[in-house]
Amino acid sequence: MGGVITPNLEIRDAIVEKGGLEAYKCYQCGKCMSLCPWFHIETVEFPVYRIPQSVRLGIATSSEDKEEIAREIEEMFRCIGCEACTSRCPLGVSVPNIVRAIRRLLVEYGAFPSELKAIVSKIYNVGNPLGEPRERRTDWTEGYDVPIFRPEMEFLYFSCCLPAYDSRGREIAHATVTIFKNAGLSFGILPDESCCCESIRRVGAEKVFQEVAKANVDAFIRSGVRKIVTTSPHCYSTFRREYVEFGVDFEVLHQTQLFSLLLDDNRLRPRKPLPKRVVYHDPCTLGRQNGVYDEPRHILRSIPELELIEIPNFSREHSLCCGAGGGGLWLDWPMEERISNVRINQVLETEAEVLAVACPYCLQMFEDTAKSMNLSLEVKDVAELLAASL
Amino acid sequence: MRDIFVLAEHRRGELRDITIEMLTKGRELAECCGVPLTAVLLGHGVDRFAEKLASYADTVVLIDHPQLENFNSETYQAALSPLLEDRQPFLTLIGHTAFGIDVAPRLSAQSNIPLATDCIDIRCEDDRVFAVRQIYGGKLNAEVSYENAPQYLATIRPASFPVREYGLKGEIVRTDCPALKTPEREFLEYVEAPAGEVDITQADVIVAVGRGIKEKETLPLVEELAKSLGGVLACSRPIVDAGWLPKDRQVGSSGTIVAINKYPNAPVFNEADYGIVGDLFKVLPTLKEKIAELKSG
Amino acid sequence: MEIVVCMKRVPETGDAEIAVDSTGRDIVRDRLTYDINESDNYALEEAVLLKEKFGGTVTLVSMGPPETDETLRMGLAKGGDVAVRLWDHRFARSDGHATAFVLAKAIREMEFDLVLTGCIATDDGRTQVGVTIAALLGIPHATYVMKVDIEDGIATVQSELEGGLIAVNRMKTPALFTIQTGINEPRYPSLISIKKATAKEIRTLTLDDLGLEASSAGEEGSKTKIVKLTPPPVGKRAEILEGAPEVVSARLTEIFKEKGMI
Repeated sequence: MGGVITPNLEIRDAIVEKGGLEAYKCYQCGKCMSLCPWFHIETVEFPVYRIPQSVRLGIATSSEDKEEIAREIEEMFRCIGCEACTSRCPLGVSVPNIVRAIRRLLVEYGAFPSELKAIVSKIYNVGNPLGEPRERRTDWTEGYDVPIFRPEMEFLYFSCCLPAYDSRGREIAHATVTIFKNAGLSFGILPDESCCCESIRRVGAEKVFQEVAKANVDAFIRSGVRKIVTTSPHCYSTFRREYVEFGVDFEVLHQTQLFSLLLDDNRLRPRKPLPKRVVYHDPCTLGRQNGVYDEPRHILRSIPELELIEIPNFSREHSLCCGAGGGGLWLDWPMEERISNVRINQVLETEAEVLAVACPYCLQMFEDTAKSMNLSLEVKDVAELLAASL
Repeated sequence: MRDIFVLAEHRRGELRDITIEMLTKGRELAECCGVPLTAVLLGHGVDRFAEKLASYADTVVLIDHPQLENFNSETYQAALSPLLEDRQPFLTLIGHTAFGIDVAPRLSAQSNIPLATDCIDIRCEDDRVFAVRQIYGGKLNAEVSYENAPQYLATIRPASFPVREYGLKGEIVRTDCPALKTPEREFLEYVEAPAGEVDITQADVIVAVGRGIKEKETLPLVEELAKSLGGVLACSRPIVDAGWLPKDRQVGSSGTIVAINKYPNAPVFNEADYGIVGDLFKVLPTLKEKIAELKSG
Repeated sequence: MEIVVCMKRVPETGDAEIAVDSTGRDIVRDRLTYDINESDNYALEEAVLLKEKFGGTVTLVSMGPPETDETLRMGLAKGGDVAVRLWDHRFARSDGHATAFVLAKAIREMEFDLVLTGCIATDDGRTQVGVTIAALLGIPHATYVMKVDIEDGIATVQSELEGGLIAVNRMKTPALFTIQTGINEPRYPSLISIKKATAKEIRTLTLDDLGLEASSAGEEGSKTKIVKLTPPPVGKRAEILEGAPEVVSARLTEIFKEKGMI
């Protein structure tokens, strides 16, 4: 390149104003690069550590050339919010949060991929990214006799949009309620809920997040909700850590935490054996971002004859993202640029028969990848394995 | 009440289907209102169309002039305005086509005739006209009324009305063309879309893809299916805009349409004859198998 | 080259569920996201490309309530230089004619070589405003334009007809073109241009500023009116084949056979 970079302080200030203040903390050590999933894809250059620097100089997307700008903006939507960089950073700088600040500016001006525009539009309009009608949000309960939440019940079960509407996702929700009933858990569902909006917040659609999340909070309060159990770690994380911004303080559990407690209380007794080699993939949002590692493993170990395998070197906080976060589920990078392919290859090396996940996005991502790679690998949610064993 | 007018549309020596559709509907409206139907034919050396038009209309107004040889919004409007001023038809129908929508708003503005565009239905009630249009990509219909005016203008969406024969023998009236200025816009030529190896207009079976396929890499799979059905691969406009298939593969909406979509609510099911709610990648391979079985068995 | 681009702010309804509101004449707009009308976006890009080639300014004009500023700013970020919004509560519920009338009045006061509009609005689908503006301004026009070439004040344009056929027309500028999608690849705005756009002032002109009579704008100035909105007749829906892939494929194959396709 050559030449002197001219800082653009106005842009720096605009990004900082949108939430990019953390960029100042970065001292460019580069440790974040070592865990960024994009580092595993040879043909992609996604220089994580440059992002805080480029914000400080105001040169995040700096080109004047039309093609180059398009590329730079598309790069901004590569970050899948796995927070691997954050976990390594000596100062805990969150590059996803900095990227989110840049995205907020871009989204306001409609400068973001059309696939994500469609998702934001659908969530705003009908409360789910699939564009399915609101009235059908609880259709998945047909045949499962799931009660509507009342204040005297202990838990609100929040299924997540994919389990509510997607045919494969529904199998997780079915397994979950089967487990709850088996344990005699007091729970109910709310028809009047919308997407938790975790992913579109990461995408930068802050206005829509605020409106839809607030509507959820209002619905929960109105219905007398105090405790929430979720199928998706994304819903779990956002209710627990971000909905508090609305001044509420629900007790939130991910279903693996609840299953684990129920197991300890002997309210669940897995009896049927599952004599298979099962490898567990730590979802980024459950594991690294919220510290929930042991409970899913506890559940899997409680299933008779199940052989639990870890992915060497890339397990627990070192887990490699499936690629679906931060809007990734809806963006179609070319075949050679799929993070999920890298992760599946790691899984294949363990020679496991079953890949166990604890997140509907991971499930969809890995199943699609396994299909496109023509694999016989089974992908199951921990709930499905547990339910089958009861 | 006065006549109903239908503007005939022709291009490169062929009368276009929309003309007959409008004449069929026009005839129906005319009989309903008890008024004559008049077809207006502008062009140069287009006499041979007049007879066909006369099989629907009581009168065919034929205006032949060298300057009308090729469609031009200004000359057509300049020929139509005095005619409409003189004859004061109650309602004039023009096709909602590339030509039609190029001239109708101009005619509406210059002659001060209220215009409703892209109508999928139209009816007359006493002295008033009501039209039906689609909005929001066909998700809703809008019933539209006109402000009271001596004349009304509507452009009609192709394939909105079925055609039938009437076998009438209307009077063909050669009418003088008003003096036409040289138009500011000069027609130069027609250019065919670059010919690909495939002419989808000749295909009996078309398997079309839209934005739902998500990746270019899926195209070969769909093309295989198309071939096994003895058909060709085609697509909707966004696929052409994205450069995944050439322009000559862009499809219209006639014929038997089968749609496959993951979501039961997909708008495509409003346009299709048959719908399958399912995963394209699960259904296509199975469909290919079944067809292969049937063909061999 | 001075270019005026007409832009419209439209709701994203492609993936949305839309409901008729309590008046029966409009839709419920609560939960809709908005964007620049698709073909207007292409028109804007074409204007910017021409500006890059010939120099000059791109002026954006839109008729709409204050929220429309959002869309105009997007346009400024994509290469528009100046933005003007026309609004008055008396402009509400304008049909194609009234909209064109107001836009033409504003554009008439501007210096322009070209006026570019999208060929169709994705909300009402009227396809009418562009050509009406041309007629009111007394300038030649071309529709569904897929290519623009300009040399020494003469524009040669390609218009897309049915079946992929192209009509080539030529005219002197000033002229108006309604632009078809796919003519170019619309650009993303850069953060730099977004920042600049945030700071720009958008001129607003009211009915009085434009020197118009209330009778020529809005519902009063419209020649057509929406009486009511209804869902399309159910009869149009597809016959849905249900079941596992095996089952639907078998049924579909039967249908193909019945129709003589195999």
